[in-house]
Amino acid sequence: MPKTKTGLGDSKRKEKRRILYLSLPDHADRVCSGCETCQLMCSLEHAGSFNPKKARIKVVPLSLGITIPITCQQCEDPACRKACPEKAIVQHKKLNLVVVDEKKCTGCMACIGACPFGIMAYDPEKKRAIKCDLCDGKPACVQYCPSKVLVLAGNRESAEIRRRRFAAVLANEDSSARHNMAGAEQVKTLPRTMTQLAAESSKLQLEGGR
Amino acid sequence: MARKKGSYAGKILRVDLSSGRVENRELDPSFAHTYIGGRGFASRTLYNEVPPEVSPFDPANRLIFTPGALFGTAVPAASRTTATAKSPITEMHGDGHSSGYWGAVLKAAGYDMLILQGASPKPIYLWIDNDRVEIRDAAALWGKTTMETDQALRETLGDREIGTLVIGPAGERKVRLAGIFSDGIMGTFARTGLGAVMGSKNLKAVATRGTKDVGIVDVEAFRKAYQDYLQVISVDPYVAPATKYGTCRFMYHRVKFGIHGAKNWRLGDFDWKPLDPEVFRSDYQIKASSCPMCPVRCRREYRIPSGKYAGTVTKLEWETIARSMTCGVNDPEGVIYFSHICNQYGLDVEGVGDTVAFAMECYEKSLLTDKETEGLPLRFGDPEGLIEITRRIAFREGVGDLLAEGSLRAARAIGKGAEQFAMQVKGSEMSAGDPRGMPVRAVSYATSTRGSDHLRSNPYVEELITPEEGLQHFGSREAADIFQGLKGKGRLLAWSENFVTIGDLLGLCKFAYYRSATFDYLRKKGVELATRFYNACNGTKLSEEEMLQAGERAFNIEKAFNAREGAGREKDLIPERFFKEALAGGGPSYGAVVDRGKFDLILDEYYEARGWNERTGLQKRKTLEKLGLKDIAEDLAKRGRLG
Repeated sequence: MPKTKTGLGDSKRKEKRRILYLSLPDHADRVCSGCETCQLMCSLEHAGSFNPKKARIKVVPLSLGITIPITCQQCEDPACRKACPEKAIVQHKKLNLVVVDEKKCTGCMACIGACPFGIMAYDPEKKRAIKCDLCDGKPACVQYCPSKVLVLAGNRESAEIRRRRFAAVLANEDSSARHNMAGAEQVKTLPRTMTQLAAESSKLQLEGGR
Repeated sequence: MARKKGSYAGKILRVDLSSGRVENRELDPSFAHTYIGGRGFASRTLYNEVPPEVSPFDPANRLIFTPGALFGTAVPAASRTTATAKSPITEMHGDGHSSGYWGAVLKAAGYDMLILQGASPKPIYLWIDNDRVEIRDAAALWGKTTMETDQALRETLGDREIGTLVIGPAGERKVRLAGIFSDGIMGTFARTGLGAVMGSKNLKAVATRGTKDVGIVDVEAFRKAYQDYLQVISVDPYVAPATKYGTCRFMYHRVKFGIHGAKNWRLGDFDWKPLDPEVFRSDYQIKASSCPMCPVRCRREYRIPSGKYAGTVTKLEWETIARSMTCGVNDPEGVIYFSHICNQYGLDVEGVGDTVAFAMECYEKSLLTDKETEGLPLRFGDPEGLIEITRRIAFREGVGDLLAEGSLRAARAIGKGAEQFAMQVKGSEMSAGDPRGMPVRAVSYATSTRGSDHLRSNPYVEELITPEEGLQHFGSREAADIFQGLKGKGRLLAWSENFVTIGDLLGLCKFAYYRSATFDYLRKKGVELATRFYNACNGTKLSEEEMLQAGERAFNIEKAFNAREGAGREKDLIPERFFKEALAGGGPSYGAVVDRGKFDLILDEYYEARGWNERTGLQKRKTLEKLGLKDIAEDLAKRGRLG
C-alpha cells in the first residue's frame, strides 16, 4: 500500500504547525485565565527580559472576565510577507514558517497593518517588526501556559480545533442548539466569547473600511 | 535604552500636585537591597516624610505607590502593588495592596515608586507616559464610576494597553471607606481608606504607559525556581479548591470552625447554604480567571443571568460574601450586586460591610431610627437595605454621610453606648473570620499595623503545623493546638507576620505563596522560593534569614510610625464583644469567647519575641538598631516613644 501523501506521513516538506488556543468547552477551569504568563515568557525567550510589548502572542481582554490569546497562524501565503516593501520577511531555513530579517526590516509597519489577525508585533526598543517563530519548535508560551490551553498544532489538529470552534460559533447562533446542548458550560463560556470575538472583529473591519 | 540589570526599574518619581513639580530620582541600590520593594519602600518613605502633625487629609500627607520588587517579571503570581498613606480611618500607618496591571506598567515606564504630595485645587489626573509626566484636567472624569473612568481614560489617551488607578464617587467625597481601583476593577487597594486620601488631593486617576523592559540576571536560576514552584503547587492540596472555587472556597473553612461572625459578629453559625461555593461556581461564575502571572487562578468574575440584577458582571472575592453575612445577607445575587456597587462607586467592601452591620445593630436597638435613615429600614438579612445604604454611603446622602466616616466615628457621633457595636481595631473594621475560640487569631487582629487584618499575620499557620514543628520552630508543642495552645503562640505570630511581609515586599500574592496545606510547602514557597526568585532576577545572594529580616524591618517601621502617633499596647486590642459575649447561633465554636487572660499572655510572648517592651508595647532601642533602624530609634527616643 502506497504511503499517504498528506499530513504527518509526508516527510519531504516539513509539516506546518502553529500555536492555537484550545479552550476546552466542557471545563470552566480550562480556558485562558488572562494571566499573560505566555506574553512574558515569550519576551524572555526572545529578548532576554520581561516586556509584554516584545511578546509575539497577545492576550486580548475583551470584557470583564473574558480574555482570549491571539497567536500567529503561520499562514501559507502570509499577508505580512506580501506587504513588506523591503522583502524582510523571509522563509525560515529549518521550520516551515516565515521570520523577520532584522537587518532588512525598517520598522515601516506595513506588515503590522496587513496581518489579518493583528498579531504582527512591534519591538518598541529596536523599532522593528517581530513575529512568532515557534521558539525553534518548543514554544515558551505553550510550555508555560498554566491553564494548558495553548497547543502546538499540526495541520490535522489545526483543522480539528478550528472546525470545533466554528461549530461552536454556529451553535450559538442556532437557538435550539443553544438551549439543548448537554454541556451547560459549553453554552456559558466558549460560544459567547467566540460570538463576541466575531462581533468585535467584524466591527473593527467595518471601521477600518471607512 | 540599555538593558537594566535586574527587576528594579531604577527610578523614583515624585509629583507635587500643588505646584506641579515633577522630580525624578535614581533608586539608591543600598536602599533597594535594605527595604527590598513594595511595602518596604513605602513604609520607610512614609515614616520619613509624614510626621504626627500631618493629618490624613492634609496636603502634606503622602500617597505612595510601590509595585513589589518582582512585579513586572514572569515570577508566578508576582502581581501585587502597595499603596501607602497616613490612613483616614486609623490615623496611623495605612496601606492597601492590589493586583491589576498598573504596577507592572509603572515599572515598564521606569519607576519603582511613585510618591504623590500636595493637593490640586481642582480635579486632575496624572498621565505618566514613560519619561513624560503631565498633570491634566479631570473635569470630564469627575463623578464617573471606576469602570467608566478607566474606559474614558483608555479612549481619551488612545491606548488600550495603559495601566490605570482610579477612584470612584466615594473617593471624591472623601468617604473614609473608599479604595483605589486598578485597571477598572481588576484590583483594589481597599483597606485603610486610601481612596479618600486620593480624593483629598483632587486626584481622580493615574494613567500610565510603559514600554521598557524589566530585567533579569540569571535566567537559568529563574527557570529552575519556576519549575520547583510549579512542582509544589501541583502536590499542595491547598491549591486545587482555590482553582476550582476561587476565594469563595474559604466558606468551607469558616463552616469547619463555625466562625462566620454573622449579624455584626454575633453568630458563629449561619444559614450559609445559599452562598455555597458550588452555587457561585455553577450559577454565576464566568470562568477561572487570574491576576498577572498566576498559575493558581483563584480570581473570579461573576455574572447574574436573570432577575432584578440581570446582566451585572463584577469581580467578587470571599470577603464580600463574608461581610454580606456580617449584615445577615445570604442571597447570592444580592451579594454579587453589593460587590458590584462597591466596585463601581469605589468602596472597600470590608469596611462598608462592617459599618453597615454596625448600623443595622444600632437600628435593631433603636439607636438609629427611621428618622435618621429617612424611612430606610436597616434590617439584618435584607439585601436591598444593604445595597441602598451602600449607595448612600458612597454619595454621603443622609445617614450615609455619618456612616461614610466609618463605624467608630459614626458610633461616637451617635453616642448612647453605640461604640460597643462598632467592630473595629485601631478604627479599621474587622475582616475575615470570628476570632473567638482561636486565641492566636484574636491577638493577630490586634497586633496588625494597619488595624484589624488577617492578611498582615496569616494566623492560619497554627492550623497546619504539627506539634513537632511547633516545638522545633516556636519552642512549644502547644503552638500547634488551635484551641487550647498558649506557649509558642506569640512566637508563631511574630514569625508569621515577618514571613507574610516578604510577599508584600516582592509583590507576591498571599494566596499563591503564603497559604498551604503543610508547613513544609508553606516555607518552601514563602521563604525559599521567594528568595530564590529575588536572587535570580537581581543577581543577589540574599539568604532566607535576610529576607525574613527584611520583613521584620518593614513591620517594625510601621510599628514605629504608629508608636510615634501615640499608639502603644493599649491599641493592640480587639473589640470588647469578643471577650464578653459568647458566640451564638450554634456551630462548632458555639459559646466560645476570647479569654482575656490568654489573650494577654500570648501578647506578652509576642512582644518578647519581637524585642518590644511587654508593658508599653513599644520598641526597644536594641531591636531597632539590630534591624539597621538606628535613626528611627533616635527619633522615637527624642519623642519618648521607645520601650
